[in-house]
Amino acid sequence: MNNSLLIVLIASGVAYGTPLLYAALGELLAERSGVLNLGVEGMMLVGAVMGFWTVQHVHANAGIALAAAVVVAGLVGAALSAIHAFLVITLRASQIVSGLALTIFAGAVGLSSYLGNDLNLSGAPATHTFSAVFPASMQRWPVIGPIVFGQNVLVYISWGCVVGIWLYLSRTRPGLNVRAVGESPAAADTMGINVTRYRYVHTLVGGAFAGVAGATITLAITPQWVDGITGGAGWIAIALVIFAFWRPELCLVGAYFFGALQALAPQLQARHISLGPTVLWTNALPYVMTIVVLVIVSSGTARSRLGAPAALGNPYAREER
Amino acid sequence: MRITFERRLRQPRWLSVAVPVGSVVFAFFLAGLVLLATGHNPLSTYRQLFDAAFLQTGSLTQTLISATPLAFTGLAAAAAFRMKLFNIGAEGQLYMGAIFGAAAGLYLGGTGSSSPFVIAAMVVTGCVGGTLWALIPGVLKAFFKTNEILTSLLLNYVAALVLTYLIFQSQSYWRETKGFNASVFPVGKQLPPSAVWPSWTIHIQGGVTVPLGAVLAVLAAVVLWVLYARTRFGFEARVLGDSERAARYAGVRVRRKILAVMALSGAIAGLGGASQVGDFAHSIDGDPNGLQKLGYGYTGIVIAALARYNPFAVVVVAFLIGGLENAGNTLQGVDFPAGLVGVIQGIILFSALGGEVLIRHRVRIVRTKKRAAAAGAEPAS
Amino acid sequence: MATAPPAVSMRGITKRFPGVVANDGVDFEAAAGEVHALLGENGAGKSTLSHILTGLYHADAGTISLYGEQVDFASPREAIDAGVGMVHQHFRLVQRFSVAENLVLGDRRGVGRTFRINPGAVETQVRELGERYSLGVDPHAKIWQLSVGEQQRVEILKALYQEARILILDEPTAVLTPDEADNLFVTARQMASEGRTVIFISHKLHEVKAVSDRVTVLRAGKALATVQTAEATPQSLAALMVGRDIEIVSREGHARPDSPPVLELDDVWADGDRGNVAVKGVSLTVRAGEIAAVAGVSGNGQRELAETIAGLRPCTKGAVSVKGKTVHNGDARSAFEAGIGYVPEDRLGTGVAPTLSIAENLGLKSFRDDSLGPFLRLGPMRATAEEAIRTFEIKASGPDQETDYLSGGNLQKVVIAREFDANPSVLVAASPTRGLDVAAVEQVHAYLLRAAESGTAVLLISEDLDEIFALNDRVLVMYEGRLTEAEDRESVAEIGLRMAGGTPDAKPS
Repeated sequence: MNNSLLIVLIASGVAYGTPLLYAALGELLAERSGVLNLGVEGMMLVGAVMGFWTVQHVHANAGIALAAAVVVAGLVGAALSAIHAFLVITLRASQIVSGLALTIFAGAVGLSSYLGNDLNLSGAPATHTFSAVFPASMQRWPVIGPIVFGQNVLVYISWGCVVGIWLYLSRTRPGLNVRAVGESPAAADTMGINVTRYRYVHTLVGGAFAGVAGATITLAITPQWVDGITGGAGWIAIALVIFAFWRPELCLVGAYFFGALQALAPQLQARHISLGPTVLWTNALPYVMTIVVLVIVSSGTARSRLGAPAALGNPYAREER
Repeated sequence: MRITFERRLRQPRWLSVAVPVGSVVFAFFLAGLVLLATGHNPLSTYRQLFDAAFLQTGSLTQTLISATPLAFTGLAAAAAFRMKLFNIGAEGQLYMGAIFGAAAGLYLGGTGSSSPFVIAAMVVTGCVGGTLWALIPGVLKAFFKTNEILTSLLLNYVAALVLTYLIFQSQSYWRETKGFNASVFPVGKQLPPSAVWPSWTIHIQGGVTVPLGAVLAVLAAVVLWVLYARTRFGFEARVLGDSERAARYAGVRVRRKILAVMALSGAIAGLGGASQVGDFAHSIDGDPNGLQKLGYGYTGIVIAALARYNPFAVVVVAFLIGGLENAGNTLQGVDFPAGLVGVIQGIILFSALGGEVLIRHRVRIVRTKKRAAAAGAEPAS
Repeated sequence: MATAPPAVSMRGITKRFPGVVANDGVDFEAAAGEVHALLGENGAGKSTLSHILTGLYHADAGTISLYGEQVDFASPREAIDAGVGMVHQHFRLVQRFSVAENLVLGDRRGVGRTFRINPGAVETQVRELGERYSLGVDPHAKIWQLSVGEQQRVEILKALYQEARILILDEPTAVLTPDEADNLFVTARQMASEGRTVIFISHKLHEVKAVSDRVTVLRAGKALATVQTAEATPQSLAALMVGRDIEIVSREGHARPDSPPVLELDDVWADGDRGNVAVKGVSLTVRAGEIAAVAGVSGNGQRELAETIAGLRPCTKGAVSVKGKTVHNGDARSAFEAGIGYVPEDRLGTGVAPTLSIAENLGLKSFRDDSLGPFLRLGPMRATAEEAIRTFEIKASGPDQETDYLSGGNLQKVVIAREFDANPSVLVAASPTRGLDVAAVEQVHAYLLRAAESGTAVLLISEDLDEIFALNDRVLVMYEGRLTEAEDRESVAEIGLRMAGGTPDAKPS
């Protein structure tokens, strides 16, 4: 039963969906503070390549190497997002163009490719990878075995992040403040909240999450380096935030749904289910579904815009006259 | 000490040129630092770059080959972005234009020299292909208010999959089925001779080949400029880009405008795709490591932003960036890692964005008053 | 015995913005326990001064002392901590949050100091404060659900919750009915009697006379005088405020029942932005040469009504017609082709394309007629613009200047110049003089009168009762989407009653 297509799809969905989840959570935090960061794809790629590099070059046991890799990936993501943050928060540049610039700079024909080639990372598989935490016996339990207990530690940490972010936004003072910053920076400023600082912090943390998301791919899912390995996941993550109505718990559901879609094609192939001409559809499915869901969500709520932080995408300037 | 920005009352003209130029200089400087950090010599790398781009024999021809598609995607981006329609899908629209254009070329072409009829058909079908692909996000935005950034972008990935599918995963019309080589490695069908686009030679530097596509790109730039600056259509588009409410107030039919501008943008990108096939490749390139890696669509956005959406500036910038890309391809190797071009372009765009601030605001450094803890503290100046 | 230092003492305050000196060496003082009015026309510098006191702006020169101690606020946070609270003209509330959440935002003292939010404690305080000051409001309600008057109460509660000792009210009555305004005055006096300092910013003379102990008059960035309210008269204050005699423009009541009806609304219903019904069955006729003035507190459907007439909002039922011909529903082009001119409330957002030039904005509706096939005729466009700049005395550097650099008054002139140029049969003017200085207000009123004299049917929608009374041939009142007509010679109090939803007793005929 555990080998049925459905169970495997769900279990793979969780695995494939984890990078989407991390990236979406990070983008959610940035957007809640009012900053749109379209550079997720680029940050993920650089996080992926630098995480990979770390694991290849840190000569220690698996635990330390992997932990170092995750930390490096996070730092790199944060550093990249700092560029975007400076441009859009301090210099009040267009958030859309800046995010695109970040993707071009860091993305598949940019920094990540440069680093990947310059550091000779392609070809060899990762020295260490994240593997399942729980013993094989638990993984054999029906249904929840593979789905819950067959995952690596990054998956479990992501669950913790979902809960943590949910608590942060709904139950803490800084969470209330950041929501105010994203809805109405003028109101927040008047109440003495430092809009600039909140935006910087959340954008940088968002970048760190994106970096970790990238590392998840090269360290847990496809443990090697290939140029452009994320294949558009960063964009799906951005869309995810929208259809999760900017709520972390819904990000989880959405991420796993899209993860399952991504797992569909390889799974069918592994079962020798010939796809024939439908191979195009199965490969395109994640992207097409994203568009479909976006349309549904945007048209229904276009009027009341439930969820979107009201000040998203707009720079804030106190002394405008 | 604080840095404040004061809105300028007037925007000095010279800054509109100085800032983009300054951005490029600054970008090369920063990229030079990146090079240094990774153990390369920036000065020699840049000299090699310039040589390979513009000075060596045959370099200008190569540069035009790189610059032509960039001019098209740059114009496509400029056309849409000017109206605050963020069409990120020029990449996919270019692929579609290539597919449609190649179909026309394969079907209508035959032996003999370049036929104006066949070429015209390719131009038209290329535009149609790009337009259709661009109308998907266009319709979704106009009628369903769906954000065009994500939709147009996701469709790029879909278009790439279509391209690969046609050559690698099916026996499509575009795929070469005859011959020994074809059975070993999938490749696209060659266009017949009459479907090959003409080119002209200018006798400098040992002969520079100007492809038809380059000429068409310049024409497109002229048309675009006239459209936006001198026609009713362009006026309405500019108003809409400035303020949707004011546009409605002025009686602009918003939905139609969105569709029209997306269609226009897609058509230009599609024409770029047809040019790719007609001028250079003469077949469909479905290799995931081929056309899809070149990122013409995304580079076009950088070009458009740097050119501040002015069509003539786009052509000039496209030429320069084309030189950069050409040099990158030529020099690729240990001394010149792949991806450096993207890095430089990204930095250019960042600098241009940052410089934009200078155009609209004056930067002032303000001394904040010291806490007047003691009596007799001096008042601020 | 030394007298206690004043609660607020601002000396030599100067603040410059690009192109204008908003405050020029202003001296201002307010004592604890008083209601001190800051009087001046729009653009005199009142808001700027108060923003400096609350830490939102930073003065270029001058000192501020609170209770004798010099202070220097680097941010609003410090002002709040020092006990300065402000009730803004444009509320600084987070629409999506509840009342309690808005109050708690940014709070660093006591109850609010914890990392985790404790909603219960806030609720209790909200109820308590609400009762003490008759500012009752449900702590759980979301701001967007509240009426404008209730939202203002939340703004005041915010300041009280933060234990403000110095409270600044910035043009608070702009959004209130006359009754609500009276209640506000009572609340202000109550707060002053507790030893707080209330600074009341206004440009309305009768309010200042009604509520304050002292008045400081600002004009063109300078503080002219501080007087005891009891000793001042409306005339003396007005003279100080404006520096010259104001010519009060008013109609002589040209009721012309025999003029042909030009604008007719037949049972028009329209929805608002949030899916609510904003306009409920409005039927209206405006005749040629008539000025029909619609009074009402903003938020009762006036904006939606104006937009429906101008074709920017579709009616769900009913129709708009001009000279007998129905205007195509929800079609702005058809509306202005039918002869409807519209001066929108939101000048910068709707009336003008901000980064386009003045010439382009002036041609915003006429460009289709002036064109040569698909091509624009830029030469004539510029010429028309230069003419308009001269005729309407628009202060600009030229027809190519970007419109968003213009001041409020000049911007409005651009809008009016454009609408007039089209010789409209109907002119809908929504809050046309909001935020303008007295000179500009006079000019706008003059244009409206001229339009009426030349036969245009004018529909004036305004929150300013003075304006309504000065210009009207008829007064109508809009309340919760419905329009009622006031009878001849109704008083301010009776109109005020209508604005709050009531019906005055019938007049004896």
